[in-house]
Amino acid sequence: MRPSRFARLLPMMDRLLSSASRYHALLLLFLVCCGVATIGAFAIRDLQTASREAQEVYAGSVHGLQRIGELQYDTQETRRATLYALTTSDSNLQVEYADQTRAADQHVKDGIAEYRRQAKQPAEIALAGRLARDWTNYLNVRDEILASILEGSTKEAVSLDLSGGVPAFELVRQDLNEVKRLYDADASQRLENLAVSWRRASWRLFGILGFTFLLSGTAVWAIQRSRMLSTIQLAKLQMEFVASVSHELRTPLAVISSAADNLADGLIAGKSTMRKYGGILQRQSRSMSHLIDDILLFASTEDGTKRYILQSLPVSAIVDSIVSVTEGVIRNSGFSLDQNIEPDLPLAIGDISGISQCLQNLIVNAIKYGGDDRRISLRAFAVPSHKGLEPEVRISVTDRGIGIDHSELPHIFDPFYRSPRVQAAQIHGTGLGLSLSKRIAEAMGGSLSVVSEISIGSTFTLHLNVAKGDDVEMAREVPELSPSSPS
Amino acid sequence: MLRSLARIAIILALAARLQADTTRTPEASPDPPQAQQGAQTEPLVIVVNRSNPVTDLSSSELRTIFLGNRSHWANGRRITLVMREPFEPERKTIVHDVCEMSEDQLKTHYLHGLFTGEILVSPKTLTTAVGVRKFIYYVPGAIGYLRMSDVDATVKIVRIDGLVPEDKGYKLRVQSLGANTGE
Repeated sequence: MRPSRFARLLPMMDRLLSSASRYHALLLLFLVCCGVATIGAFAIRDLQTASREAQEVYAGSVHGLQRIGELQYDTQETRRATLYALTTSDSNLQVEYADQTRAADQHVKDGIAEYRRQAKQPAEIALAGRLARDWTNYLNVRDEILASILEGSTKEAVSLDLSGGVPAFELVRQDLNEVKRLYDADASQRLENLAVSWRRASWRLFGILGFTFLLSGTAVWAIQRSRMLSTIQLAKLQMEFVASVSHELRTPLAVISSAADNLADGLIAGKSTMRKYGGILQRQSRSMSHLIDDILLFASTEDGTKRYILQSLPVSAIVDSIVSVTEGVIRNSGFSLDQNIEPDLPLAIGDISGISQCLQNLIVNAIKYGGDDRRISLRAFAVPSHKGLEPEVRISVTDRGIGIDHSELPHIFDPFYRSPRVQAAQIHGTGLGLSLSKRIAEAMGGSLSVVSEISIGSTFTLHLNVAKGDDVEMAREVPELSPSSPS
Repeated sequence: MLRSLARIAIILALAARLQADTTRTPEASPDPPQAQQGAQTEPLVIVVNRSNPVTDLSSSELRTIFLGNRSHWANGRRITLVMREPFEPERKTIVHDVCEMSEDQLKTHYLHGLFTGEILVSPKTLTTAVGVRKFIYYVPGAIGYLRMSDVDATVKIVRIDGLVPEDKGYKLRVQSLGANTGE
């Protein structure tokens, strides 16, 4: 049975997620936030657009209805005032009515001009022209009627109104009805557009919310899975560590046990043999003791109980001391050590035991992974402050061994991490050395960095801050260091 | 018979109106309302609708028009005469200088003309100069008179015997408003 596509995808995703560190998870979260913010901005823009359209439709409706209403009122007012002039023979009143009809017709002219200006559709433009023409025709008749009324020819005025005024005004009324009809049609279209716009905005909003939930869910799942894989990885590393420690402890224990058995069985005779066995027991027990010390030290750095006493230290003296301590191990392993200590190094801030532990680990690692070239370089030099960085004292340990693959570089400082290549090469270790060294360096306010190339070698550099002022008391003398076991 | 009764009724109505106007008129004497010597005066101009082609009228034509003896302009438009109230100085000037009558004589003339049918329409009476100006503006065949200071672009001034108000020898003048009349 062939595995499903999802089943094939899951291991790929797991591999992808297992490579995701805490920073990757945060980056993912940041990207999700950015995505949600961007999509949210689109949603807000859509809603704003829809809201603006609604406001425009509302304002346009109110304004349009008001304009049409005023136009209709003013046309009626023009006619009303004209006809009122018929009801009196007082010339003064007639002139007053004539003024009223003139004022009203001016309003109508303004309204028609406004309508013409705002007309966009061909039908509206044509209607505006027709309305203006019909209104002018009516006004011409109206003026004749008005003149007749003022002249006192009421009969003639009525006759003129019936024959010319009424039909001309009817045309104007029809035009105004057409204006209203076109306006209603336009308003209906705008309402329809608004409804479409709202529907579109709603669908987009739903889509955006769905996408956001999906994206957020995926992100949470990915983060949770990444954490779970990290936990599994850690548990695996711890299991490997236990196995490795057991192996590291069992070897000297077996030697000690064998030597003890020989001693108990009386197989050891002679002073020199006894001394030899004593030496073996001493070395193996020390080896076990150092291993246990390392584990305890790691545990103390893990829970933060380990404290370092920071002092201003003469780096060259410390390096000399460490070299003397590790000289035997280096020589016994068939390695040679090149030293390059810069003269007049400034005082560095650190803890003597911490620096010693750190450098011994680096030297022992250089021996373990140093390859066939069997040369180790130890260099100490000062780096002045530049580009806003504080001045440093750096101590680097370089080997010309197997090197570290680039993909492994981010993990080599993880506790219990051991490279598959190293495990395959049967090089023993607990995976604590580099992690411990890095923690010690950081606890002293410094750092540990690495530069490595496969089959060329690796350079580990301890960065220490340069002492400033008198606030840190300088160590009076460098105490004698004791060798520590390789980790 | 009915027509005779109607005429009698019209005469009685006009007589009553005439009596009322005479009562309202502070000065009904035929004495000329000539501007007193030394008082400030201003021209009184004859104005017509701007659409009226007439630009010049002789004194006799003007008299004919103001007496209602001419009913139509040369272009066929009906002449509508616009006057102020009988007690207004402008009217007094016109009645005396143009019609060469007293107010009473003028009224009698119009009563007679309307009764006999020689005059078709009596003059329109307006209470203010603005009313006169507007009336002339609205009615194409209207003719009236205004103080020079009341004239604007809505009406057209007609020359009298070829003279414009600014010309020396222009006869129609009226006391300026607010001027000391010595009364």
